[in-house]
Formats: sequence, structure tokens, C-alpha cells
Amino acid sequence: MGYEWDFAIVLRDFDLLWLGLVNTLKVTGLSLLFGVPLGLFLALLRLYGRWPIRLPAAFVIEFLRTTPPIAQLFWFFFALPILIGVEIDPFRASILTFSLQSSAFFAEVFRGGIQSIEVGQWEAAKAIGMNRNQTLRRIILPQAVKRMIPAFLERAIELMKTTTLVSTISYADLLYQANSIAQSTFRTIEVFTIAAAMYFVVIFACSVAIRRLEKHLARSGETIVH
Amino acid sequence: MDYRWDFSAVLVNRALLLEGLQNTLILGTTCLALGLFFGLFVGAARYSANRWLHDPASVFVEVFRNTPVLVQIMWFFFAFPIIAPFQINAFTAATLGLTLNTVAFSSEIYRAGLQSIARGQWEAGKALGMTYWQQMRRVILPQAIRRMLPAFMNRAVELFKMTSLASVIAYGELMHKAKVISTIAFNPIEMYTAVALIFFAILFPATVLVRRFETSRNVRS
Repeated sequence: MGYEWDFAIVLRDFDLLWLGLVNTLKVTGLSLLFGVPLGLFLALLRLYGRWPIRLPAAFVIEFLRTTPPIAQLFWFFFALPILIGVEIDPFRASILTFSLQSSAFFAEVFRGGIQSIEVGQWEAAKAIGMNRNQTLRRIILPQAVKRMIPAFLERAIELMKTTTLVSTISYADLLYQANSIAQSTFRTIEVFTIAAAMYFVVIFACSVAIRRLEKHLARSGETIVH
Repeated sequence: MDYRWDFSAVLVNRALLLEGLQNTLILGTTCLALGLFFGLFVGAARYSANRWLHDPASVFVEVFRNTPVLVQIMWFFFAFPIIAPFQINAFTAATLGLTLNTVAFSSEIYRAGLQSIARGQWEAGKALGMTYWQQMRRVILPQAIRRMLPAFMNRAVELFKMTSLASVIAYGELMHKAKVISTIAFNPIEMYTAVALIFFAILFPATVLVRRFETSRNVRS
């Protein structure tokens, strides 16, 4: 194979890739910021709402979980602006999509965590005169959240991987930057390999950190909910 | 919001959409079959104590689990053909990316499943004079696979969602057909809504099935 590798050309544009990585982290971070509280809200609706609330909440969660993220993104970017008559830029469409998409998965993590807390905890709280909201806030959630941390972080990593889709609507994330550098330098294989390596470094570091944390939590006697 | 929904273009183009759905299913089942098949070997290699098997398998699994699948597909479509001695079309590139991704994830399911089988089962098989592969095939796998089924089914649902990424490299699956039709008929709202509904109609029953399977197993054990 006579291909001559040349990483130098690509590394000259490394600041562009770096900017892409920063944008990837920005979309991931903001989506987490909105997605986690929204997930908790959806989980509570699904767990404790009466059926006119519970069923729509369950439908939203299941719909967002079983449709491809790319279809959701295209819907929010191409379809929603026509429907509401307001222009939505790629950045906003991405945040909107991934906040909603991840909230559905976080909702299920919350639900699993809350349901994993023994009934006795509820009964004990009731015995000392707490109502449901107090019990949730002071007794159940603090314990549940501790158990959910690894599952949360895993979802966050999945989210970061999914954000690569924003490149398809021209938001300048890492993959988009790699693609445009490839088109201007014709060093496709080098630039895609470097971009993949950059993703790997970030995501693998997070995975290793999660595994450590899981071991630590297991040692301190916390069960882990997936 | 006085937008008038009009699904007629969706219905007029149903033959195209059906063709897209067919391609989605072809891509999904191909990658699932290949991924589960090769995943077993990679999983067994990771389970093995021999580091010449274990270490390369681990590197492979970590690389494919810790990079975005879209990057993998794009790499195989845009980058790989430059060093590969043969032509690669969109289907091959998507199949390569999605299959290797599925191999990596399913190998972890195999490994966890194998580890969940008590040591004594191996020893009992050995006591009967079975070889390693006989123990694996007759004693360990039949028990382990039953435990792994829900995880595999979840993986399959994820995989079918991921096939929509092949639209980015213009493989004519459902999402790609929808994109093409919506630019001609100017109906992105109805088109992408229809695609989402089709995926939901297929995958939601699958997830219900998985959940029912999981709870019935938990009750039994």
C-alpha cells in the first residue's frame, strides 16, 4: 500500500479541531444541564401522577427513547421552525433535541433509583409525620441519587457520543471540524483518525473514572442501579 | 399555529419509504447477526486468561465502545477506502462501522454472562471429560445465553436506531429516503414525523417485550 501518511498538515489545523471539541463539550454540558432536571420531573410525573398525567409522561419518555436521535434532531431543526414560524439555529436545535432526548433516559435512571429504595424508608418517614414531598426530598432522593451516579455518568457519556449528530446540521462540533479540514486538505484518513483519537481520549478517561467510582461506591456498601 | 398538516406526500411516496424501511431492516439484521457472531469470540477472548488473546480484544472493545458510532461510520466511508485495496460503498461502510460497534458491545454482554456462571459448572464439565469448547457449547453457553437475552434485545433496539446514521453517508435507508422526499415535496414536518412514528411503532413493542421478559425472569429467579 503506497499511501504516505502525513499528520503534519492536519496538525497545523489542530486549533480548529480543538475548537470543535470545545463545542462538543458545550452541547453536551448544556444538554445535561437541562436534561437532568427535566428527567427528574418526567420521572416524578410517571411515578406519582394520576393517569391523565402519568400516561402522557410515559408516552413522551418511551417515544424519545425508541426513535432515532437523528430523526428528532431533523425534526427540531427542519420541521419545528415551519410549524412555529420561528427560525431555530443549529446550536439551539441541538440543545433542544439533546436536552429532551437525554431527559427521557435520565427519567428512567431516576425512576429505577427511586424504586430501588426500600418501602421501609417511606414508612419510617410517614411514621415521623412527613408527607410525600418531604419524604421524597429529604429521605428518598438523597439515597437514590447516590445509587444512580454511575448510571448517570454512563448516560452522560452516551450523550456526548450522540452529539456527533449536530455535525449533520452544520454545527461546528469536533466531527464537523474534522470533515471540513478533510475537505480542504484531502488528508481524510489522518484527520478522521485524529478526531476519533480525540473522542477516545475524552470518553475513555470518563469511562475509567466511572469504573473507579463504581468500585469505590461498591466498597462503601452502595448498591448500583443501572 | 395555523400550519395545515398534510400527510398526502407521505402516502404518495409510500413505495419509496417502504424500500427505505426494507433497507433499514437489511442493514440492521446483517449487523446484528455478524455482531453477535463475532462478539462471542471477542467476548471469549476477553474472558480468557491468556494475555495474547485478552489484551488485543480489550483494546478493540475499548476503542469501539469509547468513540462515537457516527465517527466510526464516517471513518469507514471516507478514510478507510484510501488504504483499503477495494472499493467501499455506503452499505459496506455502514455495515463495517455498525457491526464492529455491535461486536464490541455484545462481547461485553457475553463476558458478563460467562462470568455470571458459577465456576463449579466448568469443573463439573471437566470432570465428565469435556474439552473447553464442549464445556462452553453444552454447559456454559446454554445457561449464560438465557441470562444475556434481555441485554441482547436492548442492544438490538439500539442498533436499529443507529442504522439511521447510515443516512449521513447516503445509504438509502428510511431516514435517507425521508430526507430525499422532504426536499422534493417540501414537507419536512410530515416526513420526519412519519419516520419517528415508524421507528416507534417497530421498536416500542420490542422494548415492552424486553421489559416483560426481564420481569418474568426476576420473578422466577
